[in-house]
Amino acid sequence: MRITVECHGASQRWCGAELVNLDLGEAATVADALGRLAERYPELALRRDTVAVAIGDDIVAVTHELSDGERIALIPPVSGG
Amino acid sequence: MSTSRLRQGALNIAEWLAQPMPPDCGGLAVFAGTVRDVHEGRAVTGINYHAHAALAERRLAEIEAEAAQRFGAQVSVAHAVGELKVGDASVVIVVRSGHRAEAFAACRWAIDTLKQTVPIWKEERYADGAARFLEGTPIKTVKES
Repeated sequence: MRITVECHGASQRWCGAELVNLDLGEAATVADALGRLAERYPELALRRDTVAVAIGDDIVAVTHELSDGERIALIPPVSGG
Repeated sequence: MSTSRLRQGALNIAEWLAQPMPPDCGGLAVFAGTVRDVHEGRAVTGINYHAHAALAERRLAEIEAEAAQRFGAQVSVAHAVGELKVGDASVVIVVRSGHRAEAFAACRWAIDTLKQTVPIWKEERYADGAARFLEGTPIKTVKES
């Protein structure tokens, strides 16, 4: 399956782009997607445990199973205010 | 007045003060955050605020609802996105309540919670032309905070 990853905040710098496409195996989870990103982007790998993932307006668990064509968003540590 | 809690550009604080006080309220507390010209010794010229819009809108609404329930107050929260310059208001919290104690408490709780639960990121711009995202804190839910 192919998914699209939106890189928000500092994750734009870690991944060098606002959008990243990922090809994953069948029944891939959010954890699989983060693992693939961590292999590709060392700066993200260093901070992987601090990054949440959103789909739509929900934060999803790393066990969430992805669907082909799904769009996920990286939510690195927040700094509003 | 827009119903959106996430606004493009600097906030006009007066907009959140225009609505009338409920007759059973005797306390009005306001917190506004503004862009400061220095951070950790570096001269700051502005901040570009980024957000995950859908989740940020949801979380800001949840903060209003949770604060209203916890403190028995009417609470309004808004945050800016986009390029702001020094002195611009980036966040505003307005609380209307029966008495001052819950007004101050709700205002404090709302800004502290916002900083941990809303997917917004500061990208500071410096006088030497550099820019960087601040480190931040891993996102929590409103109930966790």
